[in-house]
Amino acid sequence: MSPSVALLALLVACSGDTASPSAPSTAPPATRELTLGAYTTPREAYGTAILPAFAAAWKAKTGQTVTFQESYQGSGSQARAIVEGFEADVAALSLDPDIATIEKAGLITHDWRAGANAGIVSRSVVVIAVRPGNPKGIKDWADLARDDIEVLTPNVRTSGGAMWNVAAIWGAATRGKAGGPTDVASAEALLAGILGNVKVMDKGARESMVTFETGVGDAAITYENEVIVAKQQGKAMDYVVPTSTILIENPVAVIDANVDAHGTRDLAEGFVAFLATPEAQAAYAKHGLRPVDPAAAPTDLPAVTDLFTVRDLGGWASVQETLFAKDGAYDRALAKAQAGK
Amino acid sequence: MSAPAPSAAPARRVALSDHAVALLLRGGFGAYVTVLVALPLLTLVYRGLADGPAAAWAAITAPAAVAALKLSIGTGLVAALVNGLAGTAIAWVLVRWDLPGRRLLSALVDLPLAIPTLVAGILLLALFGPQTPIGGALAEHDLAVAYARPGIVLALLFVTLPFVVRAVEPVLHELDPAEEEAATTLGAGRWLTFRHVLLPPLLPAVAAGTVQVFARSVAEFGSLAAVSGNIPFQTLTAPVYILGEVEGGSPGSAAAVSLVLLAVALALQPLSHALARAAGSRRG
Amino acid sequence: MASAPGRSRPVGAAWLVVAAVALYVGGLLVVPLLALTRAVLADLPGVASALTAADALRALALSVGLAAISLVLNGVAGVTGALVLTRQRFLGRRLLDALVDLPLAVSPVMTGLAFLLLFGRNGLLGPVLQSLGVKIAFALPGLVIATVFVTLPFMLRELALVLEELGTSEEDAASTLGASAWQTFWLVTLPNLREGLTLGATLTVARALGEFGAVLVLGGAITGRTDTATTFIHNAMEERHTTSAYGMALVLAAAAAALLLLLQRRSQMPGVK
Repeated sequence: MSPSVALLALLVACSGDTASPSAPSTAPPATRELTLGAYTTPREAYGTAILPAFAAAWKAKTGQTVTFQESYQGSGSQARAIVEGFEADVAALSLDPDIATIEKAGLITHDWRAGANAGIVSRSVVVIAVRPGNPKGIKDWADLARDDIEVLTPNVRTSGGAMWNVAAIWGAATRGKAGGPTDVASAEALLAGILGNVKVMDKGARESMVTFETGVGDAAITYENEVIVAKQQGKAMDYVVPTSTILIENPVAVIDANVDAHGTRDLAEGFVAFLATPEAQAAYAKHGLRPVDPAAAPTDLPAVTDLFTVRDLGGWASVQETLFAKDGAYDRALAKAQAGK
Repeated sequence: MSAPAPSAAPARRVALSDHAVALLLRGGFGAYVTVLVALPLLTLVYRGLADGPAAAWAAITAPAAVAALKLSIGTGLVAALVNGLAGTAIAWVLVRWDLPGRRLLSALVDLPLAIPTLVAGILLLALFGPQTPIGGALAEHDLAVAYARPGIVLALLFVTLPFVVRAVEPVLHELDPAEEEAATTLGAGRWLTFRHVLLPPLLPAVAAGTVQVFARSVAEFGSLAAVSGNIPFQTLTAPVYILGEVEGGSPGSAAAVSLVLLAVALALQPLSHALARAAGSRRG
Repeated sequence: MASAPGRSRPVGAAWLVVAAVALYVGGLLVVPLLALTRAVLADLPGVASALTAADALRALALSVGLAAISLVLNGVAGVTGALVLTRQRFLGRRLLDALVDLPLAVSPVMTGLAFLLLFGRNGLLGPVLQSLGVKIAFALPGLVIATVFVTLPFMLRELALVLEELGTSEEDAASTLGASAWQTFWLVTLPNLREGLTLGATLTVARALGEFGAVLVLGGAITGRTDTATTFIHNAMEERHTTSAYGMALVLAAAAAALLLLLQRRSQMPGVK
């Protein structure tokens, strides 16, 4: 009779609204539900192309109808949301460390890097989006540190894209392809120069692109596929591929704890397997991504003079330690940039 | 709710069960509020301090956090000042003067109470964003509203507009015209009348409303998430900073900074209550 | 003792104040609304189809549902609490009174964070909830709790105001005439609260529909599960579906306007009965 008891009863009633039962011995119901937690950029790739294609393929194979629950937010934020309780069956994130975050929380118990293509489903490169016709003549990383340039890049704490951006700048500098010496101090100086020009630091790559479209900034450091999707939607912009940039590799993993609780393991594993098929890879390609399957790779995306991977920088563990740890190179560069204001 | 206790026995029985009901209601309501309000806020306090006072202090004194808190407080003060004045003027126009369109004005003033704050932010972007005529014109003069501090203040002015008006209106309604007439017949000019007859009851009400504006401004999130740009040290307010800490995987830091905002809110509450009581006591 | 002062026509410099007020309110409120309306009217069929899409309707339904639940729960709590706080004197009353006002002062993000710290997987009650199989964070119950939290004070404050002004004379009279506590409540107190209830209900619903920060943090804006009208707008802006975003924003603004018509009774001040 007390309101708090009624509230509790209401809550318990409300929480019993998940789709599939978890009893393994009974046949799965005719309608299944798959929950996807992804980063911001492939919204359209998954939402309009891959998920419907998978639903059709699954129906053809098993006769079951699949519905989806989707969440798109900055890769780091998404990883944390999953750790905090968002019960995604599959995580499609921007970079390896974010899947590792979920693994470290004990929610992923299989070796996800042992899957097809080492768990990677799509690729891209870090580019610089500019206004149509590139009025400020931005050619490479060093131009972003000029006094007359305003830059957009997201927040590394929440956005996977932001981390790729910083890794790209750092890699280009330390490989001697950014027009300066290759020592750490020079790389930091370049990073500081660019960060000092940042106008808005959004939570995710998509937010950053949307901000760019509203007229803020002269350049936005982002995924190549993010720019391509924007242009497909009629937004006026061009992009510049720096001489040296990093190959972005996006991983996907089934989240064991959640699929076992939901009874959706077969569905989730089927989905991840589907992502490696030519059909899914073609869908990625249509949305500006560079697929992992060379056979499906479109030939009209620009070649990169010096394309390096995170492994060339020593792997994610080393990069996170050097760049993104507390008081790492990124923090120091940000502080230097702030001090210069 | 308690009945008077007459000496007859049946009436005493009535009084006892009444008392039981009263206790039940008190207990039930107390439990509801405790679970709903006290529990989560205590959790917040706990988490803010759980990593140790040193960690909490470090989180609160982090340069970006300090800048965010300063920005929230600064813009809150500006909003309080502007809407304190504007709100009083609006209440005056609504109550004291006979004008066409009063109903419309009254409705407009209440609008921010009903409009979602996110929508408020979108409205302002639709008007001042970089690609709008006004935004473009401002950009030519190196001024900016969207993604800059003026935009923050504008958003705050929008969402806090009703507070001072709502606080002052009842006081203006309850003023006794006899007092003003007395002052006039005694020869007091309009300014003197205002200072000695009208201002004393008005001030507590204006102050109460202004404190509400400030408290509300410091806590504002929805409109600022849309319109402020979120650059650390420049346009990042405290609530948006806290969100960043949550999403960036530092709930302890987020909780610690939240404690500062909570402390501000708790400190302002008794002040607001006292002012509201002072304003109310002047009435009738 | 006090009556409404006579209204006069403004004189001289007073017109400047009127003009300033008109300009301020017009510029701050009317013009942005017109800008939004114009944006929507520019693509009415697009907006209509966006708003009748499944996820838009679901988001709207969720927001309405949350508002309804908040209204019921906080309506009951509001009546109970208003009576308890104004008519009873007990140890801890001041504290309870202060607690009720807290949701007004707490930033929505902090609300979401607090509940996440309590009910999230890593929260204080996380393990307990998991063993019970109850999901609060990133699920519907979490949205309910967050919305009920932020709307708690509205009904209660309006009713407390009315109860304080009314005094207990009518209720005392009813008791001396032999009415039971329930009869007194139902036949004397409640009818007097009617206007306060309407006002409180209006404010509660408006606040519930507008909640964003807390549901974003606690719910995660998951399309198909925890996507409310406000997070729908947020997601739509992200996807560049400005038609959807502006359309839903206008729907919420229109709902706000409708609620305003109910709120207008406030202008007729309760001082004169």
